[in-house]
Amino acid sequence: MAHTAHHHFPAPKMRLEDTRLITGSGKYAADWDLKGQLHGYFLRADRAHAEIVAIDAGAALKHPGVVAIFTGEDAVRAGYVNAPHALNFPGKNGMKTRAPKRPALAHGRIRFVGEAVALVVAESVHAAQDAAELLQVQYRDLPAVVSPEAALAPGAPQLHDDVPGNMPLETEVGNAAAVEQAIAGAAHVTRLKMEVTRVAPSPMEPRACTVVHDANADSYTLHVCSQGYTTLRAQLSAYTGVPRDKLNFEVRDVGGGFGQRTLAYPEYCALMIAARATARPVRWVSTRSEGFMTDSHGRANIISGELALDKAGKILAMRLDWVNDMGSYLGPGAMGHIRNTSSCMTGVYRIPALYANYRVALTNTTPVAAYRGAGRPDISYVVERLVSQAAAELKVDAAELRRRNFIPTDAFPYTTATGSVYENADLPGLLDQALKLADWKGFAGRRKKSEKAGKLRGIGISTVIENTGAGNAPKDDIQIDLDARGEVTVHTVSKAQGHSHETTFAAIVAAALQIPIERVHVRQCMPDMQHVLTGNHTGGSRSTVGAGSVCHLAALKVIEQGKPLAALELGVEPSQVEYAKGAFRTRESRRAVKLADLAKGKTFTVAAEGKFGSTQPNGCHIVEVEVDPDTGATDIVSYCAVDDCGVVINHAVVAGQLHGGVVQGVGQVLGEQVVYDRASGQMLTASFMDYCMPRAGIVRGIRGEEHPTPSKVSPLGVKGMGESGCTASLPAATNAVIDALRPLGIDRLDMPLTPATVWHAIQSAKEKAQ
Amino acid sequence: MAKVTLTVNGVKHTRKVEDRALLVNVLREDLGLTGTHIGCDTSQCGCCTVTLDGRAVKSCSVLAVQANGSKVTTIEGLAKNGKLHPVQRAFAECHGLQCGFCTPGMIMATVGMLKDNPNPTEDEIIHGLEGNLCRCTGYINIIKAVKKSAKLMRGRAR
Repeated sequence: MAHTAHHHFPAPKMRLEDTRLITGSGKYAADWDLKGQLHGYFLRADRAHAEIVAIDAGAALKHPGVVAIFTGEDAVRAGYVNAPHALNFPGKNGMKTRAPKRPALAHGRIRFVGEAVALVVAESVHAAQDAAELLQVQYRDLPAVVSPEAALAPGAPQLHDDVPGNMPLETEVGNAAAVEQAIAGAAHVTRLKMEVTRVAPSPMEPRACTVVHDANADSYTLHVCSQGYTTLRAQLSAYTGVPRDKLNFEVRDVGGGFGQRTLAYPEYCALMIAARATARPVRWVSTRSEGFMTDSHGRANIISGELALDKAGKILAMRLDWVNDMGSYLGPGAMGHIRNTSSCMTGVYRIPALYANYRVALTNTTPVAAYRGAGRPDISYVVERLVSQAAAELKVDAAELRRRNFIPTDAFPYTTATGSVYENADLPGLLDQALKLADWKGFAGRRKKSEKAGKLRGIGISTVIENTGAGNAPKDDIQIDLDARGEVTVHTVSKAQGHSHETTFAAIVAAALQIPIERVHVRQCMPDMQHVLTGNHTGGSRSTVGAGSVCHLAALKVIEQGKPLAALELGVEPSQVEYAKGAFRTRESRRAVKLADLAKGKTFTVAAEGKFGSTQPNGCHIVEVEVDPDTGATDIVSYCAVDDCGVVINHAVVAGQLHGGVVQGVGQVLGEQVVYDRASGQMLTASFMDYCMPRAGIVRGIRGEEHPTPSKVSPLGVKGMGESGCTASLPAATNAVIDALRPLGIDRLDMPLTPATVWHAIQSAKEKAQ
Repeated sequence: MAKVTLTVNGVKHTRKVEDRALLVNVLREDLGLTGTHIGCDTSQCGCCTVTLDGRAVKSCSVLAVQANGSKVTTIEGLAKNGKLHPVQRAFAECHGLQCGFCTPGMIMATVGMLKDNPNPTEDEIIHGLEGNLCRCTGYINIIKAVKKSAKLMRGRAR
């Protein structure tokens, strides 16, 4: 499809969603206050692995204000045990995924610290919380395993009887024999073991859900924070067996998602049981500590990589051995760990032979799912670290080695060795622009200056590409309602969690209809549309590519369907009618039929749908750091980013998405990590006091430029770019720190590169040198 | 239970609250002012920042009874007669918010910071926002918004 859209998208001075959000008028999931509501509180496992011998609820039930207490027995009785998962890949040697059951409340056994054991429902939160302390749970402790490599080793404690070896799936991609041959004959092989650490996505809004059960219809309404109800509804229905048409949602403002707000969590299912049993709304608001323990974690991959090159520095082959830690149960959001890491395995390089083996591991930890990028930052980290390491070993400039191996601009569309098709990119142009922006050549001088100040300076580069935008739903769909005042309402099921859909989608419709953006009102996930629209939720950087493109098509359809009606009114043939700036006219007559006139009798409604393929945003990020050798502390002193996001609808919004992504990546590189105690399985980072969230100033500024190659996948020419910031920053920032330390002989450090880690590495290097 | 009287956004309220009730609980649950958010339980995130007798405080770290007799301004009380406060305007115009959840706290913290220091340096802004977490923006546009707030407010004072 050729891109046909206007490229003059209106950009309002502030986003259309802003007024409500800066005045405290937003409505987040915890802001619902329903008449007659009860309050739920989850009693959670205080240990990592144990049998539940008995639960004595006697004293708790007698506590004032307590209405009911639910346990795993209730979950099993309701049949809420089939937690959905998405590891639907063919396994190695015909292996099929072994998915353990997960009752909505733990039954018989708990497998991670924080797993919900009971739900106490009371007239107030305090009453429920106090009563939970009176619940007597008798456990029989079992040995726990929190490291995925240890979990896969012989003799490891077994989490599930039906998942032997704690390995629900082993799978592979690529051509093992071709890679083996290439490595055997290569002039140089770079080998590096890397860990993309387990992190807590941590959107600022804690999870919350209030469930209302309608006894007459036997249906449920969940007031919840979600990235879109279509995926949530499908997962909830699979989990509970409740038909999809009996599940309704109230999703208003959502305080961040990053993949973590997609899932049908067991707590929601337990609240459904409670709402039905008590015949009253049941409300639950997570604390942050609960969130750390029970909201899905991200990344958690260990990768051994080998990169084979010839004498001229051409990459011949790459082999990766993955261990994917999925936590204690398989979740529905973790397919990206395999799908995205294999589809983007070649990165931006022409690598003729690729092979990866994946061993999925279950551990006594919080389940893992998608986190901004969902495997894309992981694979870019692996490839870009290997390439920079190879450049250092071969004593070739890191940018030059990249250039030698780029997929040439005229080779697009390019089919990779793992079978993905990349649409377009201009990698040499992108690199040149970034090298200039970052003054790559001037680095040696800056390094000297830093040295004089007693600092170790390093420069890191990444050139990355990723698959985004396609979506899982069979289509994206939009409904436009035009009213008699000429106001245009755009309905979508794609749900922003900070993405600015109300501004971006309104700009797309306003541009197509040539009307002021203020007349376009985007409504997401409205209850009355929930069984009308069935498109994709917001995730995988797909909303502007998918729903945004359909916004454009729907607006064009308004014009197309309006023409014959206008012709009737104007007394001419439809072919004589022209449309511009909100009105239909004929060349001859001065009369006009306004958009509003179409809706004089009743609302003028148009529905449109579309299905678009994958887009491949790409970018080159160059980071400079200064490491203080006395403290090990790293400062980001320069961050340059050149990105190809295709056509950009709103430059401020796109820059904002990049900023956020970049800092999430840098945060992971410099500090973030979920840490478990290896012996007890206790989480040591279950609050913002212990978990190293990035704070203001971690990246002081980003010099960003665009290098667009418009996509032809959709009529807008856009590329899905919501995740590309961290895909590029994770390797670029790490490469910069390694570059700073390499003169000391340090090149094998893993994130998080905390001051302690870096300081210790520097001390051991010094000791070795003596 | 304790009787607490608060003047919130210029309106006097008297409520009976549990001894352990936090100011943020009373604002959200008893007064329905849900613009003040709760983002953590260890007073790290700053989402619940309000001004208490003119000083920015984290309302999760103040017992409602401690605030007895005080004047509280929440995000809902910042705009006057439909006119946005300069800090609100600056956050929106600098795209200093995305999901909006940390925003009320960020704005109230900025109001408090600029009261103490109307012309902060970038380092002072970064230090001043140390107690406020944002996961969406990378803080880059928030720092811009604080600078613009300061500029707008200096203009207003003149």
